[in-house]
Amino acid sequence: MTARTLPAGTPLDPQRIRADFPLLARTVHGKPLVYFDNANTGQKPTAVIEATSAFYREHNANVARAVHQLGEEATAAYEATRDKLARFIGAPSRNEVVFTSGTTQATNTVAYTWALSRLQPGDAVLVTQMEHHANIVPWQLVCARTGATLKAAPITESGELIVEKFVEMLTPDVKLAGVVHVSNVLGTVNPVAELARECRRRGIPLLVDGSQACPHMKVDVAALGCDFYTLTGHKMFGPTGTGALWAKREHLESMPPFFGGGEMIRRVSFEGTTYADPPHKFEAGTPNIAGVVGLGAAIDYLEGVGMDRIAAYERELLAYASDALAEVEGLRVFGTAARKAAVISFLVEGAHAHDLATLLDHEGVAVRSGHHCAHPLMQFYGVPATARASLAFYNTREEVDRFVAALRKVRKLLA
Amino acid sequence: MSESALYRDLVLEHNRSPRGLGALPACTHAAEGDNPLCGDRLRIELALDAAGRVQGFAFSGEACAITTATASLLGERVRGLDAAAIADLDARFARLVRGDCDADPALDGLNALAELRAYPARRKCALLPWATLAAALRGTPHATTEATA
Repeated sequence: MTARTLPAGTPLDPQRIRADFPLLARTVHGKPLVYFDNANTGQKPTAVIEATSAFYREHNANVARAVHQLGEEATAAYEATRDKLARFIGAPSRNEVVFTSGTTQATNTVAYTWALSRLQPGDAVLVTQMEHHANIVPWQLVCARTGATLKAAPITESGELIVEKFVEMLTPDVKLAGVVHVSNVLGTVNPVAELARECRRRGIPLLVDGSQACPHMKVDVAALGCDFYTLTGHKMFGPTGTGALWAKREHLESMPPFFGGGEMIRRVSFEGTTYADPPHKFEAGTPNIAGVVGLGAAIDYLEGVGMDRIAAYERELLAYASDALAEVEGLRVFGTAARKAAVISFLVEGAHAHDLATLLDHEGVAVRSGHHCAHPLMQFYGVPATARASLAFYNTREEVDRFVAALRKVRKLLA
Repeated sequence: MSESALYRDLVLEHNRSPRGLGALPACTHAAEGDNPLCGDRLRIELALDAAGRVQGFAFSGEACAITTATASLLGERVRGLDAAAIADLDARFARLVRGDCDADPALDGLNALAELRAYPARRKCALLPWATLAAALRGTPHATTEATA
């Protein structure tokens, strides 16, 4: 019985979920794996592995250009994911969903096709102190080419955006704002709907980086009221190299293509070319068809379990982990926002993040260590690196216990 | 704790009580190095005699146990050596952590880091002190593990 057959209303049973993820059964250094690096990438359920593999075994063909049977099947499977994803994130139209290789490509598409032609000297892009480099560097690149500047709204010591400051900084020079929905380092869930309302009031489009939100909570872009929303498939337990940009139709229509090539055209001549309508205008070349088909299976899987059920389970698991970690002497947690996803960045007194991660790995516990692609946030906290445990709906209290026990051992060893 | 061959007693001990931690008042050569992988930074200060031999070695910075222990052991090992002899040791250490030899008597206590052969992701941590030392000897103020790995 797979998790998908659970009747509605039943609380999530992590053991049933785990049975759907074959990799979770393996050992590392002779210990059962405790996979706490979900903010980096998620593991894949059998349904995703099978869907990707079945595509290659049974349906493989290019999309949107072959009239033969396989071409029809491949196109139908690829486009079916667009319908699923549109529904999954509450997009008003399937044509507003552009497949990309992930959030990075999605944000860069907006930077180069929306922002580049609009920004002028004296203009600004506003982001926050807690952004991932993928929501900083693309803006720096277009700012360097246009003479615009990048500004960052401050956060509190607990890792919450200072909303009044953000709103105060939405001055007339700001032509675009970008904010992370859920911080990959702190777990902070930003009040995106409120920020979007303030941006709308001033006519400033808002881009939301949804990489860390989509795997863990119900997302509804229409209700959020933002202009652009980016997401990453592999963090949603889908294949690597998949993701999407959602944008309001009016924006997609005003944006020129990013890449030129096949698939994205209507008619090409040496005198000039007319482009396909969105979303295909932004999907030049042969896309990651099998990956997108796998992403469709991941969405089916998540919807089968239920995003609200996942969010409720992870909230409880986070509370359990936070309580357990509070008992570990010398441990400092970075990010204690009131609204927080199951991401715990931490350091142990006298131990470097890399030593923690290597020694935890010896105990079978996979955590990330480093700057988490968020240098400005590390600078804010005055540390070069942190260790990070990021949980998912297949993680358990027993795993948290093993993590905490391993942490105590590591602390003793390094003391 | 499972037996951790990487975190041997000698490594842990040098991490706990690093030799040569701090600044060198009689410093003649210095360089700063960084490891972009983790954001660690290290500063090495040297006092060279007229023949270019290391008479004083000090290091500072916030770094992991592997970097700290390597810097500490390195400072002990290179005392009295000139740039050519240190370059020879550098090449020997690179072979050791790549797994091209099991142990090299010339490296003395630095052999404690041999297990890095099984940890490619952590090798740069040990190479940072070497790269920084080489930069200081060359008279270049800055080094990065990206150029040496």
